[in-house]
Order: sequence, then structure tokens, then C-alpha cells
Amino acid sequence: MAAVVVERGIDFYVIGTAPGRPRAFSLGVERALAVDQDPSLDRVPGSLVEELRALPPSTPLAASSRALAASLRERLGRPVELAATDVLRAARDDLPRPEPGAERRLLLALARNALERSLRTPEEILVTLTREEERVERAVGRESRASESFLAVPGSPLADYSRRWATVRLSLEEHHAHLEEEVRAHARSVVPNLATVVGERAAARLLAEAGSLAALARMRAGRIQLLGTRRRPSPDRGPRYGILYRAHGMSDVPPGRRGAYARSLGALAAIAVRADATTRAPIGARLAARRDRRIAQLKEHRG
Amino acid sequence: MRPPRRFEPDAKSPRLARTRVGDRTELFTETVGDLPSVYGERWVHLRGRAFRTFEPARSKLSAGLVHGWTGPLPAPGERWLYLGAATGTTASHVADLVGPNGSVYAVERSPRPFARLLALTGRWPNLLPILADARDPRVFAGLVPSVQGIYADVAQPDQVEIVRANAELFLSGPGAGVIVALKTASMGRHRTAPAHLEEAERELAHVVRRVPSARLDPFHKGHYLIGGRARPELFGAAARRPVTLVRGSRPARRRS
Repeated sequence: MAAVVVERGIDFYVIGTAPGRPRAFSLGVERALAVDQDPSLDRVPGSLVEELRALPPSTPLAASSRALAASLRERLGRPVELAATDVLRAARDDLPRPEPGAERRLLLALARNALERSLRTPEEILVTLTREEERVERAVGRESRASESFLAVPGSPLADYSRRWATVRLSLEEHHAHLEEEVRAHARSVVPNLATVVGERAAARLLAEAGSLAALARMRAGRIQLLGTRRRPSPDRGPRYGILYRAHGMSDVPPGRRGAYARSLGALAAIAVRADATTRAPIGARLAARRDRRIAQLKEHRG
Repeated sequence: MRPPRRFEPDAKSPRLARTRVGDRTELFTETVGDLPSVYGERWVHLRGRAFRTFEPARSKLSAGLVHGWTGPLPAPGERWLYLGAATGTTASHVADLVGPNGSVYAVERSPRPFARLLALTGRWPNLLPILADARDPRVFAGLVPSVQGIYADVAQPDQVEIVRANAELFLSGPGAGVIVALKTASMGRHRTAPAHLEEAERELAHVVRRVPSARLDPFHKGHYLIGGRARPELFGAAARRPVTLVRGSRPARRRS
């Protein structure tokens, strides 16, 4: 049986075999299991697996690795070794090759778990729901426009059909309304400051367009202002707003001043989203007050 | 009426076929997986065998073959490591080339394309998905056995370095294949594409005995297929130093 402990900054890995498993691997409990089962480490009292299981389920992997590494170092009473590539290769090649079927089942199960872990975060759920909501919204709009052409004919032999179709469309609209409410609720909890400044729906859409909170937080104000733009309004004029056109307060601002408002809002949104991504300090209300002052200014043609 | 399609086996791989339609040559791989098609490619059934079009506009490996790639190719029965599998367009063709007795370990870091890759592996029995960062091969060192080849399409500034780290850890020995789909646009705008190519070729020369690179224009702008067979030195004393690649070691993107 081969086991190699590799320490590397915040992470460390163990490769080895464990009874009942074709291959022990480098993530989570399995890696502690490999240490526990290694005969060369038998004199280590206690069980790393038990220790790992005692950590709260929400402990991030890096933190659990750190705990595991610290615990192992303490028990062994010596620094954990850094394995060279050839040692790692040799250890890996010593492992018995699992049967193809078993290997496939194992890799698929690991992949599913890893995928679920990374897609289950509130941020990922919000991005997914928002993209879904946008798609359903487009479908609702498209279908209601499309059915106008035959609904408008009174006494049409298609009356029966149009009634049936109207019922389906109605339920689609209801579905969309529920979905939108869900998106708003998620946005309030994932990006509270941004949602206060630009509105929940615009906040969710900015996040979905950026792809992740980290990506949105790295954007400068001008980029946020133009996020979601598709084309220039005319060849000699650039776009002024994308998603922010539907943001809070835009309809209160006189049409000629909306570009200016989008600029200010982009700046405030950039600050808000950075707070959401880092400190999570509740600065939304303060930024919203600045936003409202700006709206008042623009209405009086002062800015 | 269209003349009947004539499949000619390709000399480069028994699982690769080509047809001529007029003056155009089309490439096909004999499939291991099941319908529906992966990315809208055409399927052709012929005497109990199923082939899929291998489109150069969609896959850099196919574009390389069209441009006369002379380097290593996945052969039937081999194990290959695929870095940067994304949704599995090319990965499915590499899995086709290694055939039902080979396997392809497909590594992808981004969860959303990985979800599609995972769905695809349901009908591709020799495609094995791994959600991990190719930059950090130690994370999946316990999952991937030694392989006869590495195909990398990672589009990162340090893509050759990523390939080197993986080659040291996973290649089975001297002569194992390495194919890198090089995206020069990911390597910074401070240099022209040919200059980037030259630098990447120089770096990769420490890992493999190079074969002539294939330019992938016009199918993939600014891309090249580079690679060759692993050098014996890769498995000697050079491998005794620890892997130093860590997350965050990527050089800062240069702006010009």
C-alpha cells in the first residue's frame, strides 16, 4: 500500500488505497481515510476521519485541509514532507488499477458531488434562476405578441383553440411571476447593497451577465453602466446604458438626462457590489440616499 | 443526385475516415457514444458502424488534421488525459479515437460547461469527467492513472507550463504523445501570434521532441496545434524536483 502526504501551502494531498475502495483520492474524507488506513502511520493515535466528520458541513475544503494538515503534523511530531513528482508518480503507479466499471462509477459519483457543491452556492443559484427568468420572460412576450394575430378575429373558428392557448399562456405568465419573486428574494440576500441601489431585478441581471459576484466586483463603474448593451443607438453615438435602463429611478429621470443618471448609478453600483463581495457592510441605504439626491438634481436640470 | 458517399480510412488512425464531396474533404470519427449528436454534428451509419463529422470549424484537433498535423494522435486502446474539456465537443472525438477499449480523462474547471460534459459522459462510456483545475494536477493525481497522451486546450497565459506539470505527473514514459491547442490571444497582446508560437515551441521543447506545428487559420484565428513525443529526460532527474505550480501563480495579464 502506498501513501504519500504532500503539503503545499494551504492544501495537502494523500494518495493511497483504503479497504473497500478501489482507490483513495485527494479530496475530503477519502484523503483522511487513506492516512488512517496507512500502516506506516499506524502509530498515530485517533482518527483523522472522525476529526473531519466533526467539522461543520459548511467548512470549506481549504479549511478542512488546513485542520487535517495541522492535526497530522501534531500527531506525527514532524513536518509533513513535500513529495517530489517522481515519488508521487511511483505511489500512483503502485496502486492497483481498478476495474473499468468501478473506476467509471467512482469518477462519475465524484464529478456529480463536486458539481453539486460548486453549483449549490446561493450566488450560483441566483445566476441560474435569473438566466431562466430572462428566458421565460422572452417567451411570455413572444407568445403574447404572436397570438394577437388570431385572437383579434371575432367569431373565428379558431376561437376554441385560442381559448386553450390563452390558458397555457396565462399559466406561463403565472410561472414567470413566481420566478421573478424568487429571483428578487435571492437578490436581496446575495447582493443586498446592490439590490438596494439599482433594484432587485437589475441587481440579479447584472450578476447573471457578469457570471459571478467576483467578476462583477472586479468591474469598473463604466463597465457596469454598459453591462448588457447589445448595439450602438446610432453610428455616431455610443450606448449609454444596458441593464441599468431598467434600474430603479430611471423612469423618474427626464429622457435627456438618463445617460447621466446611468453614469452615476454605475458608479454607485460598483461601490455597492464591492461591499457585497467583500465586507458585506450594509451601505445600501447610504448609497440609495446619494442616488435619490442625484435623481432630484437631474429632474431640476442641475447636473 | 449526389454521388454515393465513399469512406476512405485515414492513414493516421483506424478510427478516422474521410470522404470527398466535390473538391472538399470531410473528416469523420467512428463513434463510441450514442445519439443525440453532441454539438449538431452529422451522424452517418454505414454497415453497422456509426461515424460523426469531425468539423474543423468546431474542433482545433480537426483543423490541425486538415492542415496536415503530423504529430501524435490518440490511438485505439490508449488512455489520454484531456485538459480543458469544456462541454466536450473535441473531447468526444478524442474518446472516439481511443475507441471502446481506451479511455479519456476529461478535466474541466468551470462548473457550468462541466454540467454539460457530465451529461455527455452518460452516453460516452469511455469519457471520464473530472471537475478540477488543470493548473493543479496534484488534486486529481489520485484519480488519473498514467496515460499515453495529453491533449490540452486550456487557453491560459501559462498554458505550456500547465501542460509541463501534467506531463511530468501523468505521461506513461518516453514517447507518450502531447498535443497542445495553443491560443495565442490568451498569452497577451504585447507580441504577435507567431512570436507567441515561437516562445511556446521553445518552452515545449523541454517536454517533447517537437513535430512541425500546424497553423489553424482560418478555422481558429491565432491558434496553433503544437506538440510531439515526450522526451526521456522528462522522467529522469528533472522529475525529482517538486511541482511548484500553485493556484494564483499565473502571470499578471499584460496590458498594452
